[in-house]
Amino acid sequence: MLKEKLEKFFKIDRRWIFLLLAIVLFAPIMKPIGLPNKTISRDAQNAYTFMDNIPAGSFVLFSLDYDPSTRPELHPQAMAMVRHAFKRDLRVGVVTFIAGSTGLISQIFAKVPGEYNKGNGTDYVIFPYQANYAAVMTQMGSDLYGIYDKDQDGRDARTLPVMKGVKNYKDMALVVDITGTSILDQWVAFVGDKFNVPVVGGVTAISQPGYGPYLQTKQLKGLLGGMKGAAEYESLIKEPGKGTSGIDSLNLAHLLVLILIMTSNIILLIIRYL
Amino acid sequence: MKFIKKQIPLMIVMVVGLLTLASYYVPNKHSVDYIELLSKWENIVMAFAFLLGLISLFYSHYNKISRKTDGWGYSLFVYIGFLGMVVPAMMNGGRQMVDGRLTMLGWSFNYIYNALSATMFAVLAFYIVSTAYRSFRIKSKQAFVLFLAAFVLILGKVPLGQIIWDFLLGWTHATVSEVIEWIMSVPAVAGKRGIMIGISIGAIVTSLKIIFGIERQYMGKD
Repeated sequence: MLKEKLEKFFKIDRRWIFLLLAIVLFAPIMKPIGLPNKTISRDAQNAYTFMDNIPAGSFVLFSLDYDPSTRPELHPQAMAMVRHAFKRDLRVGVVTFIAGSTGLISQIFAKVPGEYNKGNGTDYVIFPYQANYAAVMTQMGSDLYGIYDKDQDGRDARTLPVMKGVKNYKDMALVVDITGTSILDQWVAFVGDKFNVPVVGGVTAISQPGYGPYLQTKQLKGLLGGMKGAAEYESLIKEPGKGTSGIDSLNLAHLLVLILIMTSNIILLIIRYL
Repeated sequence: MKFIKKQIPLMIVMVVGLLTLASYYVPNKHSVDYIELLSKWENIVMAFAFLLGLISLFYSHYNKISRKTDGWGYSLFVYIGFLGMVVPAMMNGGRQMVDGRLTMLGWSFNYIYNALSATMFAVLAFYIVSTAYRSFRIKSKQAFVLFLAAFVLILGKVPLGQIIWDFLLGWTHATVSEVIEWIMSVPAVAGKRGIMIGISIGAIVTSLKIIFGIERQYMGKD
Protein backbone atom coordinates (compact mmCIF):
# COMPACT_ATOMS: atom_id res chain seq x y z
CA MET A 1 0.00 0.00 0.00
CA LEU A 2 2.76 2.41 1.07
CA LYS A 3 4.87 1.20 -1.81
CA GLU A 4 2.15 2.12 -4.30
CA LYS A 5 1.72 5.50 -2.69
CA LEU A 6 5.44 6.19 -2.89
CA GLU A 7 5.58 5.08 -6.51
CA LYS A 8 3.04 7.76 -7.29
CA PHE A 9 5.70 10.34 -6.42
CA PHE A 10 7.74 9.22 -9.41
CA LYS A 11 4.77 9.75 -11.68
CA ILE A 12 4.09 13.25 -10.38
CA ASP A 13 2.97 15.65 -13.09
CA ARG A 14 6.08 17.51 -14.18
CA ARG A 15 4.16 20.77 -14.20
CA TRP A 16 4.21 20.75 -10.38
CA ILE A 17 8.01 20.69 -10.54
CA PHE A 18 7.96 23.49 -13.10
CA LEU A 19 5.74 25.53 -10.80
CA LEU A 20 8.00 24.89 -7.82
CA LEU A 21 11.07 26.00 -9.77
CA ALA A 22 9.27 29.08 -11.08
CA ILE A 23 8.39 30.10 -7.50
CA VAL A 24 11.93 29.41 -6.28
CA LEU A 25 13.38 31.53 -9.11
CA PHE A 26 10.94 34.41 -9.07
CA ALA A 27 10.40 34.89 -5.34
CA PRO A 28 13.98 36.08 -4.58
CA ILE A 29 13.93 38.31 -7.67
CA MET A 30 10.77 40.01 -6.41
CA LYS A 31 11.96 40.11 -2.80
CA PRO A 32 15.76 39.61 -2.44
CA ILE A 33 16.83 37.54 0.55
CA GLY A 34 20.36 38.95 0.57
CA LEU A 35 22.26 35.72 1.17
CA PRO A 36 25.97 36.45 1.67
CA ASN A 37 28.51 35.46 -0.98
CA LYS A 38 30.95 33.92 1.46
CA THR A 39 33.94 32.89 -0.62
CA ILE A 40 35.85 34.14 -3.64
CA SER A 41 37.14 31.32 -5.82
CA ARG A 42 40.86 31.15 -6.57
CA ASP A 43 40.32 31.54 -10.33
CA ALA A 44 38.11 34.64 -9.98
CA GLN A 45 40.63 36.14 -7.57
CA ASN A 46 43.46 35.43 -10.05
CA ALA A 47 41.51 37.08 -12.87
CA TYR A 48 40.94 40.15 -10.71
CA THR A 49 44.54 40.32 -9.51
CA PHE A 50 45.89 40.04 -13.05
CA MET A 51 43.69 42.84 -14.35
CA ASP A 52 44.42 44.93 -11.27
CA ASN A 53 48.17 44.73 -11.80
CA ILE A 54 48.14 45.91 -15.42
CA PRO A 55 49.69 49.40 -15.67
CA ALA A 56 47.21 52.20 -16.38
CA GLY A 57 46.98 53.12 -20.06
CA SER A 58 47.63 49.58 -21.29
CA PHE A 59 45.43 48.10 -23.98
CA VAL A 60 43.11 45.22 -23.06
CA LEU A 61 41.21 43.31 -25.74
CA PHE A 62 37.76 42.03 -24.83
CA SER A 63 36.26 39.29 -26.95
CA LEU A 64 32.59 39.20 -25.95
CA ASP A 65 31.18 36.09 -27.55
CA TYR A 66 27.82 35.32 -26.01
CA ASP A 67 24.24 35.86 -27.06
CA PRO A 68 21.03 36.38 -25.10
CA SER A 69 20.72 32.66 -24.31
CA THR A 70 23.67 32.86 -21.90
CA ARG A 71 23.16 36.49 -20.99
CA PRO A 72 22.10 36.01 -17.32
CA GLU A 73 25.45 34.40 -16.52
CA LEU A 74 27.84 36.17 -18.88
CA HIS A 75 26.51 39.71 -19.21
CA PRO A 76 27.18 40.52 -15.52
CA GLN A 77 30.69 39.08 -15.92
CA ALA A 78 31.35 41.32 -18.92
CA MET A 79 29.92 44.38 -17.17
CA ALA A 80 32.07 43.77 -14.09
CA MET A 81 35.29 43.21 -16.06
CA VAL A 82 34.74 46.24 -18.31
CA ARG A 83 34.01 48.32 -15.20
CA HIS A 84 37.25 47.11 -13.64
CA ALA A 85 39.21 47.97 -16.80
CA PHE A 86 37.79 51.50 -16.87
CA LYS A 87 38.36 51.89 -13.14
CA ARG A 88 42.01 51.03 -13.72
CA ASP A 89 42.20 53.52 -16.64
CA LEU A 90 42.97 50.80 -19.15
CA ARG A 91 42.25 51.22 -22.84
CA VAL A 92 39.60 48.79 -24.04
CA GLY A 93 39.10 47.19 -27.44
CA VAL A 94 36.09 44.97 -28.13
CA VAL A 95 35.67 42.28 -30.76
CA THR A 96 33.03 39.61 -31.20
CA PHE A 97 32.57 36.46 -33.24
CA ILE A 98 28.93 35.92 -32.31
CA ALA A 99 26.37 37.95 -34.27
CA GLY A 100 23.89 37.93 -31.39
CA SER A 101 26.46 39.54 -29.14
CA THR A 102 26.53 42.89 -30.92
CA GLY A 103 23.35 44.13 -29.22
CA LEU A 104 24.59 43.08 -25.80
CA ILE A 105 27.88 44.89 -26.38
CA SER A 106 25.92 48.02 -27.29
CA GLN A 107 24.01 47.71 -24.01
CA ILE A 108 27.23 47.49 -21.97
CA PHE A 109 28.88 50.45 -23.68
CA ALA A 110 25.75 52.58 -23.60
CA LYS A 111 25.93 52.42 -19.81
CA VAL A 112 29.36 51.64 -18.36
CA PRO A 113 31.69 54.20 -20.04
CA GLY A 114 29.49 57.09 -18.84
CA GLU A 115 30.04 56.00 -15.22
CA TYR A 116 33.79 56.58 -15.63
CA ASN A 117 33.76 59.47 -18.13
CA LYS A 118 35.24 57.33 -20.88
CA GLY A 119 34.81 58.21 -24.53
CA ASN A 120 34.25 56.13 -27.64
CA GLY A 121 37.41 56.27 -29.72
CA THR A 122 39.53 57.82 -26.99
CA ASP A 123 39.24 55.26 -24.19
CA TYR A 124 37.50 52.36 -25.90
CA VAL A 125 36.76 51.06 -29.36
CA ILE A 126 34.20 48.54 -30.59
CA PHE A 127 35.10 46.62 -33.70
CA PRO A 128 32.45 45.14 -36.00
CA TYR A 129 31.34 41.51 -35.85
CA GLN A 130 33.51 39.01 -37.71
CA ALA A 131 32.39 35.47 -38.47
CA ASN A 132 35.62 33.55 -38.79
CA TYR A 133 37.44 33.66 -35.48
CA ALA A 134 40.39 31.49 -36.50
CA ALA A 135 41.28 33.80 -39.39
CA VAL A 136 40.79 36.95 -37.30
CA MET A 137 42.85 35.66 -34.37
CA THR A 138 45.67 34.69 -36.70
CA GLN A 139 45.56 38.00 -38.57
CA MET A 140 45.68 40.05 -35.38
CA GLY A 141 48.97 38.38 -34.56
CA SER A 142 50.69 40.42 -37.26
CA ASP A 143 48.48 43.45 -38.01
CA LEU A 144 44.98 43.81 -36.61
CA TYR A 145 44.18 46.61 -39.08
CA GLY A 146 44.31 43.98 -41.83
CA ILE A 147 40.94 42.81 -40.49
CA TYR A 148 39.70 45.74 -38.42
CA ASP A 149 40.58 48.77 -40.53
CA LYS A 150 37.40 50.52 -39.34
CA ASP A 151 35.56 50.51 -36.02
CA GLN A 152 31.86 49.76 -35.61
CA ASP A 153 30.95 53.34 -36.52
CA GLY A 154 33.02 53.28 -39.70
CA ARG A 155 35.89 55.44 -38.39
CA ASP A 156 39.44 54.70 -39.48
CA ALA A 157 40.74 52.52 -36.63
CA ARG A 158 44.38 53.61 -37.13
CA THR A 159 43.59 57.24 -36.35
CA LEU A 160 41.64 56.60 -33.14
CA PRO A 161 43.51 57.79 -30.00
CA VAL A 162 42.59 54.58 -28.17
CA MET A 163 44.53 52.56 -30.76
CA LYS A 164 47.72 54.61 -30.47
CA GLY A 165 50.70 52.24 -30.49
CA VAL A 166 48.53 49.15 -30.88
CA LYS A 167 49.21 47.01 -33.92
CA ASN A 168 49.11 43.39 -32.77
CA TYR A 169 49.12 41.18 -29.69
CA LYS A 170 52.56 42.40 -28.64
CA ASP A 171 50.93 45.73 -27.80
CA MET A 172 48.18 44.21 -25.67
CA ALA A 173 48.46 43.57 -21.95
CA LEU A 174 45.61 41.08 -21.74
CA VAL A 175 42.94 39.30 -23.74
CA VAL A 176 39.63 38.70 -21.96
CA ASP A 177 37.20 36.30 -23.58
CA ILE A 178 33.72 35.97 -22.16
CA THR A 179 31.86 33.28 -23.99
CA GLY A 180 29.21 30.60 -23.93
CA THR A 181 31.00 28.77 -26.75
CA SER A 182 34.36 27.05 -27.18
CA ILE A 183 35.98 30.23 -28.54
CA LEU A 184 37.97 30.57 -25.31
CA ASP A 185 39.83 27.36 -26.24
CA GLN A 186 40.80 28.99 -29.53
CA TRP A 187 42.04 32.15 -27.79
CA VAL A 188 44.30 29.95 -25.67
CA ALA A 189 45.53 27.82 -28.58
CA PHE A 190 45.78 30.38 -31.40
CA VAL A 191 46.75 33.45 -29.38
CA GLY A 192 47.77 32.84 -25.76
CA ASP A 193 50.23 30.05 -26.47
CA LYS A 194 51.51 31.20 -29.85
CA PHE A 195 51.90 34.93 -29.21
CA ASN A 196 52.53 34.70 -25.48
CA VAL A 197 49.58 36.92 -24.55
CA PRO A 198 47.91 36.49 -21.15
CA VAL A 199 44.34 35.25 -21.50
CA VAL A 200 41.55 35.47 -18.92
CA GLY A 201 38.18 33.82 -19.45
CA GLY A 202 34.58 34.06 -18.41
CA VAL A 203 32.35 31.07 -19.11
CA THR A 204 29.02 29.53 -18.13
CA ALA A 205 28.95 27.47 -14.94
CA ILE A 206 28.32 24.29 -16.90
CA SER A 207 31.48 24.62 -18.98
CA GLN A 208 33.72 25.87 -16.15
CA PRO A 209 35.07 22.44 -15.07
CA GLY A 210 36.39 21.85 -18.60
CA TYR A 211 38.96 24.64 -18.25
CA GLY A 212 40.83 23.03 -15.35
CA PRO A 213 43.78 21.89 -17.52
CA TYR A 214 44.33 25.42 -18.89
CA LEU A 215 44.22 26.92 -15.40
CA GLN A 216 46.66 24.40 -13.98
CA THR A 217 49.21 25.13 -16.69
CA LYS A 218 48.59 28.91 -16.40
CA GLN A 219 47.52 29.06 -20.04
CA LEU A 220 44.54 30.84 -18.52
CA LYS A 221 45.46 33.44 -15.92
CA GLY A 222 42.03 33.37 -14.35
CA LEU A 223 38.46 32.29 -14.96
CA LEU A 224 34.99 33.43 -13.98
CA GLY A 225 32.38 30.69 -13.88
CA GLY A 226 28.69 31.44 -14.28
CA MET A 227 26.66 33.87 -12.23
CA LYS A 228 28.69 33.07 -9.11
CA GLY A 229 31.84 34.14 -10.95
CA ALA A 230 30.13 37.41 -11.86
CA ALA A 231 29.02 37.93 -8.25
CA GLU A 232 32.56 37.24 -7.04
CA TYR A 233 34.07 39.75 -9.46
CA GLU A 234 31.44 42.33 -8.55
CA SER A 235 32.30 41.94 -4.89
CA LEU A 236 36.03 42.22 -5.71
CA ILE A 237 35.56 45.50 -7.56
CA LYS A 238 32.99 46.57 -4.96
CA GLU A 239 30.31 47.24 -7.57
CA PRO A 240 27.30 44.99 -6.89
CA GLY A 241 25.34 44.25 -10.05
CA LYS A 242 23.12 41.65 -11.67
CA GLY A 243 25.45 38.82 -10.63
CA THR A 244 25.05 39.67 -6.95
CA SER A 245 21.31 40.16 -7.18
CA GLY A 246 20.85 36.89 -9.09
CA ILE A 247 22.72 34.82 -6.52
CA ASP A 248 19.62 34.38 -4.32
CA SER A 249 17.69 32.70 -7.12
CA LEU A 250 20.73 30.61 -7.95
CA ASN A 251 21.05 29.52 -4.31
CA LEU A 252 17.50 28.34 -4.01
CA ALA A 253 17.35 26.71 -7.45
CA HIS A 254 20.51 24.69 -6.74
CA LEU A 255 19.12 23.57 -3.42
CA LEU A 256 15.84 22.60 -5.05
CA VAL A 257 17.72 20.37 -7.51
CA LEU A 258 19.58 18.71 -4.63
CA ILE A 259 16.42 18.20 -2.60
CA LEU A 260 14.60 16.71 -5.59
CA ILE A 261 17.44 14.31 -6.40
CA MET A 262 17.73 13.23 -2.77
CA THR A 263 13.97 12.83 -2.39
CA SER A 264 13.65 10.63 -5.44
CA ASN A 265 16.56 8.44 -4.29
CA ILE A 266 15.28 8.10 -0.73
CA ILE A 267 11.91 7.04 -2.14
CA LEU A 268 13.69 4.57 -4.40
CA LEU A 269 15.56 3.08 -1.42
CA ILE A 270 12.40 2.72 0.64
CA ILE A 271 10.58 1.03 -2.27
CA ARG A 272 13.47 -1.33 -2.85
CA TYR A 273 13.77 -2.53 0.74
CA LEU A 274 10.11 -2.43 1.69
CA MET B 1 38.49 15.26 -66.61
CA LYS B 2 39.56 13.13 -63.65
CA PHE B 3 42.75 15.22 -63.47
CA ILE B 4 40.73 18.43 -63.10
CA LYS B 5 38.18 16.98 -60.70
CA LYS B 6 40.50 14.90 -58.50
CA GLN B 7 44.22 15.50 -58.90
CA ILE B 8 44.19 19.31 -59.03
CA PRO B 9 42.00 19.80 -55.91
CA LEU B 10 44.10 17.22 -54.03
CA MET B 11 47.26 19.03 -55.07
CA ILE B 12 45.86 22.42 -53.95
CA VAL B 13 44.85 20.95 -50.58
CA MET B 14 48.28 19.41 -50.10
CA VAL B 15 50.26 22.53 -51.04
CA VAL B 16 48.06 24.93 -49.05
CA GLY B 17 47.89 22.52 -46.09
CA LEU B 18 51.65 22.04 -45.89
CA LEU B 19 52.40 25.74 -46.40
CA THR B 20 49.92 26.74 -43.67
CA LEU B 21 51.31 24.13 -41.31
CA ALA B 22 54.88 25.25 -41.97
CA SER B 23 54.04 28.95 -41.62
CA TYR B 24 52.83 28.33 -38.06
CA TYR B 25 56.40 27.42 -37.08
CA VAL B 26 58.33 29.81 -39.34
CA PRO B 27 58.43 33.41 -38.06
CA ASN B 28 59.29 34.90 -41.44
CA LYS B 29 57.83 37.92 -43.29
CA HIS B 30 56.72 35.76 -46.22
CA SER B 31 54.94 33.27 -44.00
CA VAL B 32 53.21 36.12 -42.11
CA ASP B 33 52.11 37.70 -45.42
CA TYR B 34 50.88 34.31 -46.60
CA ILE B 35 48.84 33.78 -43.42
CA GLU B 36 47.39 37.31 -43.72
CA LEU B 37 46.33 36.63 -47.29
CA LEU B 38 44.83 33.30 -46.33
CA SER B 39 42.94 34.88 -43.42
CA LYS B 40 41.35 37.40 -45.77
CA TRP B 41 40.38 34.67 -48.22
CA GLU B 42 38.95 32.62 -45.37
CA ASN B 43 36.75 35.53 -44.31
CA ILE B 44 35.48 35.99 -47.86
CA VAL B 45 34.75 32.28 -48.25
CA MET B 46 33.01 32.31 -44.86
CA ALA B 47 30.73 35.15 -46.02
CA PHE B 48 29.75 33.12 -49.07
CA ALA B 49 29.18 30.07 -46.87
CA PHE B 50 26.75 32.17 -44.81
CA LEU B 51 24.91 33.19 -47.94
CA LEU B 52 24.78 29.60 -49.14
CA GLY B 53 23.43 28.47 -45.77
CA LEU B 54 20.77 31.16 -45.85
CA ILE B 55 19.64 30.22 -49.36
CA SER B 56 19.52 26.57 -48.36
CA LEU B 57 17.49 27.38 -45.22
CA PHE B 58 15.00 29.49 -47.17
CA TYR B 59 14.69 26.87 -49.90
CA SER B 60 14.07 24.09 -47.39
CA HIS B 61 11.34 26.06 -45.57
CA TYR B 62 9.82 27.25 -48.84
CA ASN B 63 9.40 23.58 -49.79
CA LYS B 64 7.74 22.82 -46.46
CA ILE B 65 5.28 25.66 -46.94
CA SER B 66 4.51 24.90 -50.58
CA ARG B 67 3.95 21.18 -49.83
CA LYS B 68 2.03 21.97 -46.65
CA THR B 69 3.95 19.32 -44.70
CA ASP B 70 3.33 18.80 -40.97
CA GLY B 71 4.09 21.96 -39.01
CA TRP B 72 4.51 24.07 -42.15
CA GLY B 73 3.10 27.06 -40.28
CA TYR B 74 6.26 27.21 -38.16
CA SER B 75 8.30 27.68 -41.31
CA LEU B 76 6.59 31.02 -41.85
CA PHE B 77 8.28 32.25 -38.69
CA VAL B 78 11.68 31.65 -40.27
CA TYR B 79 10.87 34.39 -42.78
CA ILE B 80 9.11 36.59 -40.23
CA GLY B 81 12.06 36.33 -37.82
CA PHE B 82 14.55 37.01 -40.57
CA LEU B 83 12.71 40.04 -41.86
CA GLY B 84 12.04 41.24 -38.30
CA MET B 85 15.79 41.57 -37.75
CA VAL B 86 17.26 42.22 -41.19
CA VAL B 87 14.91 45.00 -42.35
CA PRO B 88 15.49 47.17 -39.23
CA ALA B 89 19.24 46.39 -39.42
CA MET B 90 19.39 47.70 -42.97
CA MET B 91 17.24 50.73 -42.19
CA ASN B 92 19.35 51.71 -39.17
CA GLY B 93 22.72 50.86 -40.70
CA GLY B 94 23.31 48.21 -38.05
CA ARG B 95 23.07 50.71 -35.18
CA GLN B 96 21.00 49.83 -32.18
CA MET B 97 21.27 53.15 -30.44
CA VAL B 98 21.52 56.69 -31.73
CA ASP B 99 21.99 59.55 -29.25
CA GLY B 100 21.10 57.24 -26.39
CA ARG B 101 17.80 56.19 -27.97
CA LEU B 102 16.87 52.76 -29.23
CA THR B 103 16.59 52.44 -32.99
CA MET B 104 14.19 50.04 -34.66
CA LEU B 105 17.01 47.48 -34.75
CA GLY B 106 17.67 48.00 -31.04
CA TRP B 107 13.99 47.44 -30.35
CA SER B 108 13.94 44.26 -32.46
CA PHE B 109 17.07 43.00 -30.74
CA ASN B 110 15.81 43.69 -27.21
CA TYR B 111 12.21 42.71 -27.59
CA ILE B 112 12.28 39.98 -30.25
CA TYR B 113 15.68 38.29 -30.53
CA ASN B 114 16.76 38.79 -26.92
CA ALA B 115 13.45 37.66 -25.49
CA LEU B 116 13.06 34.62 -27.75
CA SER B 117 16.63 33.43 -27.37
CA ALA B 118 16.63 33.84 -23.58
CA THR B 119 13.28 32.08 -23.31
CA MET B 120 14.49 29.09 -25.31
CA PHE B 121 17.49 28.66 -23.01
CA ALA B 122 15.54 29.34 -19.82
CA VAL B 123 13.04 26.61 -20.64
CA LEU B 124 15.96 24.16 -20.44
CA ALA B 125 16.31 24.85 -16.71
CA PHE B 126 12.79 23.58 -16.09
CA TYR B 127 13.41 20.39 -18.04
CA ILE B 128 16.75 19.80 -16.30
CA VAL B 129 15.18 20.05 -12.84
CA SER B 130 12.30 17.79 -13.83
CA THR B 131 14.71 15.26 -15.39
CA ALA B 132 16.99 15.37 -12.34
CA TYR B 133 14.05 14.32 -10.17
CA ARG B 134 12.85 11.61 -12.52
CA SER B 135 16.09 10.15 -13.85
CA PHE B 136 18.97 10.71 -11.43
CA ARG B 137 18.71 7.31 -9.73
CA ILE B 138 21.57 5.75 -7.80
CA LYS B 139 21.43 2.20 -9.07
CA SER B 140 25.14 1.34 -9.13
CA LYS B 141 28.41 2.23 -7.40
CA GLN B 142 29.42 4.40 -10.36
CA ALA B 143 26.13 6.29 -10.16
CA PHE B 144 26.77 6.83 -6.44
CA VAL B 145 30.22 8.33 -7.11
CA LEU B 146 28.68 10.58 -9.78
CA PHE B 147 25.95 11.62 -7.37
CA LEU B 148 28.46 12.36 -4.61
CA ALA B 149 30.62 14.54 -6.88
CA ALA B 150 27.58 16.34 -8.29
CA PHE B 151 26.18 16.83 -4.79
CA VAL B 152 29.37 18.44 -3.48
CA LEU B 153 29.78 20.61 -6.59
CA ILE B 154 26.20 21.87 -6.54
CA LEU B 155 26.40 22.54 -2.82
CA GLY B 156 29.72 24.35 -3.09
CA LYS B 157 28.71 26.47 -6.05
CA VAL B 158 26.27 28.57 -4.05
CA PRO B 159 26.84 30.49 -0.84
CA LEU B 160 23.83 28.90 0.87
CA GLY B 161 25.31 25.46 0.18
CA GLN B 162 28.58 26.60 1.73
CA ILE B 163 26.74 27.71 4.84
CA ILE B 164 24.93 24.35 5.06
CA TRP B 165 28.25 22.49 4.60
CA ASP B 166 29.90 24.51 7.36
CA PHE B 167 26.94 23.85 9.66
CA LEU B 168 26.80 20.10 9.06
CA LEU B 169 30.41 19.21 8.31
CA GLY B 170 32.31 22.08 9.88
CA TRP B 171 33.79 19.63 12.41
CA THR B 172 35.84 18.00 9.62
CA HIS B 173 37.78 21.30 9.18
CA ALA B 174 37.55 20.79 5.41
CA THR B 175 35.64 23.55 3.65
CA VAL B 176 33.44 22.71 0.67
CA SER B 177 35.65 25.00 -1.46
CA GLU B 178 38.69 22.85 -0.66
CA VAL B 179 36.81 19.67 -1.54
CA ILE B 180 35.64 21.21 -4.82
CA GLU B 181 39.16 22.44 -5.52
CA TRP B 182 40.41 18.87 -5.19
CA ILE B 183 37.63 17.38 -7.37
CA MET B 184 38.27 20.00 -10.05
CA SER B 185 42.07 19.83 -9.92
CA VAL B 186 42.54 16.08 -9.75
CA PRO B 187 39.83 13.75 -11.13
CA ALA B 188 38.09 16.36 -13.33
CA VAL B 189 41.34 17.67 -14.85
CA ALA B 190 42.65 14.13 -15.37
CA GLY B 191 39.49 13.15 -17.26
CA LYS B 192 39.35 16.37 -19.25
CA ARG B 193 43.03 16.20 -20.15
CA GLY B 194 42.59 12.63 -21.43
CA ILE B 195 39.66 13.74 -23.58
CA MET B 196 41.61 16.77 -24.89
CA ILE B 197 44.65 14.68 -25.81
CA GLY B 198 42.42 12.15 -27.56
CA ILE B 199 40.58 14.84 -29.53
CA SER B 200 43.85 16.56 -30.48
CA ILE B 201 45.46 13.35 -31.72
CA GLY B 202 42.29 12.63 -33.72
CA ALA B 203 42.34 16.13 -35.22
CA ILE B 204 46.04 15.87 -36.15
CA VAL B 205 45.56 12.47 -37.79
CA THR B 206 42.48 13.64 -39.73
CA SER B 207 44.28 16.80 -40.87
CA LEU B 208 47.28 14.80 -42.09
CA LYS B 209 44.95 12.36 -43.87
CA ILE B 210 43.28 15.30 -45.67
CA ILE B 211 46.60 16.97 -46.53
CA PHE B 212 48.03 13.77 -47.99
CA GLY B 213 44.85 12.88 -49.86
CA ILE B 214 43.97 9.77 -47.86
CA GLU B 215 40.72 11.28 -46.61
CA ARG B 216 38.70 12.50 -49.61
CA GLN B 217 35.10 12.59 -48.43
CA TYR B 218 35.04 16.42 -48.46
CA MET B 219 35.35 16.27 -52.26
CA GLY B 220 31.94 14.63 -52.68
CA LYS B 221 31.03 11.41 -54.49
CA ASP B 222 31.63 12.40 -58.14
